[in-house]
Amino acid sequence: MKNRSNDTQILLRVNLSTGAVSREELPRDWTRLYLGARGVNSRLLFNEVPAGIDPWGDQNVLYIGTGPMDGLPVGNSRISIACKSPRGSVAEGSGGGFFGPELRRAGYDYLAIHGKAERPVYLYICDETVEIRDASHLWGLTTDKTDAALRSEICDPNFQFRYIGPAGENCVHASVIMGNLNNSAGRAGCGEVMGSKKLKAIAVRGTGGIRVANYAAFLDAYKEYRSRLDLTTSRDPWTPVWSVYGAPVLARLFTDMGSLMTFNAREMSWGRDKTARISAEVFLDDYVTKAKACFNCPWTACQKQYEIPKGKYKGFKGGNYWAGQPVVFGSSIDNDDLDLLLVISGLCNQYGLDIFHVGFTLSWAMECFENGLLTKADTDGLELRFGCPDPDGLVDLMRKIACKEGFGALLAMGSWEASKVVGRGAERFSLSIKGQELEAITERNNYMVALGVAVSEVGPDHTRWYPPYPCNPNLISKEELHELGVDLDLRKAFQGRNPEEKGKLLRWFSISRAIVESMPGCVFLVRDTLGLDLRPWWKLFGSATGLEMAYPDFVRAGERVFNLERAFNVREGFSRADDRPPIRMATEDVPHFGYPKLSPEVFEPMLDEYYEANGWSKTTSVPTAGKLAELEMSDVTVALQKAGVEVEP
Amino acid sequence: MKRIHVIEDLCNGCRLCQSFCSSLSEGVFSEYARIQVMKAAGEERDTPVVKCSGDCVRPIYKNEIPTCVAVCPTGALFYAEPQEAEEARREWENARRQHSLFKVIAPWKWPLPWKKQQEEAA
Repeated sequence: MKNRSNDTQILLRVNLSTGAVSREELPRDWTRLYLGARGVNSRLLFNEVPAGIDPWGDQNVLYIGTGPMDGLPVGNSRISIACKSPRGSVAEGSGGGFFGPELRRAGYDYLAIHGKAERPVYLYICDETVEIRDASHLWGLTTDKTDAALRSEICDPNFQFRYIGPAGENCVHASVIMGNLNNSAGRAGCGEVMGSKKLKAIAVRGTGGIRVANYAAFLDAYKEYRSRLDLTTSRDPWTPVWSVYGAPVLARLFTDMGSLMTFNAREMSWGRDKTARISAEVFLDDYVTKAKACFNCPWTACQKQYEIPKGKYKGFKGGNYWAGQPVVFGSSIDNDDLDLLLVISGLCNQYGLDIFHVGFTLSWAMECFENGLLTKADTDGLELRFGCPDPDGLVDLMRKIACKEGFGALLAMGSWEASKVVGRGAERFSLSIKGQELEAITERNNYMVALGVAVSEVGPDHTRWYPPYPCNPNLISKEELHELGVDLDLRKAFQGRNPEEKGKLLRWFSISRAIVESMPGCVFLVRDTLGLDLRPWWKLFGSATGLEMAYPDFVRAGERVFNLERAFNVREGFSRADDRPPIRMATEDVPHFGYPKLSPEVFEPMLDEYYEANGWSKTTSVPTAGKLAELEMSDVTVALQKAGVEVEP
Repeated sequence: MKRIHVIEDLCNGCRLCQSFCSSLSEGVFSEYARIQVMKAAGEERDTPVVKCSGDCVRPIYKNEIPTCVAVCPTGALFYAEPQEAEEARREWENARRQHSLFKVIAPWKWPLPWKKQQEEAA
């Protein structure tokens, strides 16, 4: 295989209905306009997936995109996966691991999967060889068994895989696409779309290399980027802690701050004792067997392999403990047994389930059970109470959810859909936005978060605007902000319960994360200046691709990305009314801490400010024609008008 | 004579060493390098295999440390005389017995002087 440069972006189209495979080069100015990965995926999705199609049908397309930084030692070589979500919105998610560089080394930047196969298949890519192979023998296997089966079948340890588990095959709401056993991606519905196409796995191997345009400049830019992330030289004092212990360190901090969702967010603190039992420190002491990393990550050990050392689940192996698990499988369902927590979370990876979906649907069901909306007759005899009195039943429930069996079929729908089945006001316990489960993040004492998850185009997703915790406005000075053109009062913007400046700050965060995910890079790698200073990324991008762009143009590319995603959503009928906090956050105060509910008086002005800062219509949230013209996307205005969307001038 | 030593248990499998090594001669990032990180199936082990005396084509950090060692985030690679290597290994093993965070990082890479502060406080 020949080495390749960063000049061209190659798209590989595979049609599973007809078996046709074709390669095409994407327009060259797309690198300048949309950078790569998430940016190009959102453009492809807007252009090629028409409004109103059936997400389960063969018109839906699954895109897997890499970017100009994949295969280079920057940004962990993530991939972006996109399609139309079964809930109608954009479904986009990024995932780490080693798949992205391998795909680029094989000579492709993007994969577009059209159509539907009749029988289960997997896609085999090895440099120029692209084959659609039979996967009947893999159908029904969990992800770890799929991984092992594919490895023994292909007999080359250098192959990289992305696969779905039984949850994706059975089209469970919010199933994910897994890779490297424990790296998930696409919780907004990509796994179920892959399952509906009967595509079990993608195997890829590339033997080429990637040439950067200007090697000396790239090395200089890398050194600057690396010094900002290095444990000893980073500006952010939390860098060493995060890179060794990882995000679960937040649980203990959150319980003191009244930010830890407990009993399905009925309360926001779990007490220090219980939180300490499932803390990152205990995990590292007793469970971790080995540190893991994504491709070329400069951080030490944000992923970890674990093995349960003793007790009933002795010998259970799994990987990764993020900020989500201590909340969704800990405080939210009141489970302080770390063994059980790690087993449930490991099973989610094996079945290809999304942890937030499972966790918050479980806690919703527990609250319904305690309020008499669900009984033992509904739950197949399971005593579904907070505190998990029946751990074995809970472990078995994971399989039932993935296979849509018995009570599992109800939970597989997600709490919002399931509450429509249960009725009698069950939706007030559902922590969901746009039909998708919330993330493990506080809202009523951090308005930035409340606004961020509400407006996110793919349903609640903190990685699209993620403010590094703990929020520290001192990481970037006023002078630097001025230099970067970020015109806001950062101190005020970071005051948790002050609605001012939130919309403006969120706009900058959305831009910065859109850029980083289009490189593509990991959100953890923008801690040092809160991701507001993207000049190191700009230099890396320039030296790797040879494109000379002014910094403001680079920033505008990020803005294009989420404007396109918003345009896709409004074309599908989404509007301002869908950008809402969950019912519980909007109607109930936080007990003990005195944080009031997110009333419309607080929330609406923030929403107005965000739409105004973005140049979107305040009544419908549609990007204005003026804004789209400024972003060189007047064709989007035409497409929206053709679809019957009213675009303000 | 100095050479590149490996503590396999500390390798997290990121392959930064391999990527940079491959790029040094022609500016092309690939998997063809003098150091190869072999991954076992099941993600259970990552084993760096060094086929190099430490005589770097072009050390990117100008301190006579081979590039692969300079970019290693966990401290699994180090460049030392045989005697020093013995000592470093012993230092890591002692540290690991005292604190679990040295399961995943070498003591010479960890910036927070947690031990010293405790001693001073005592």
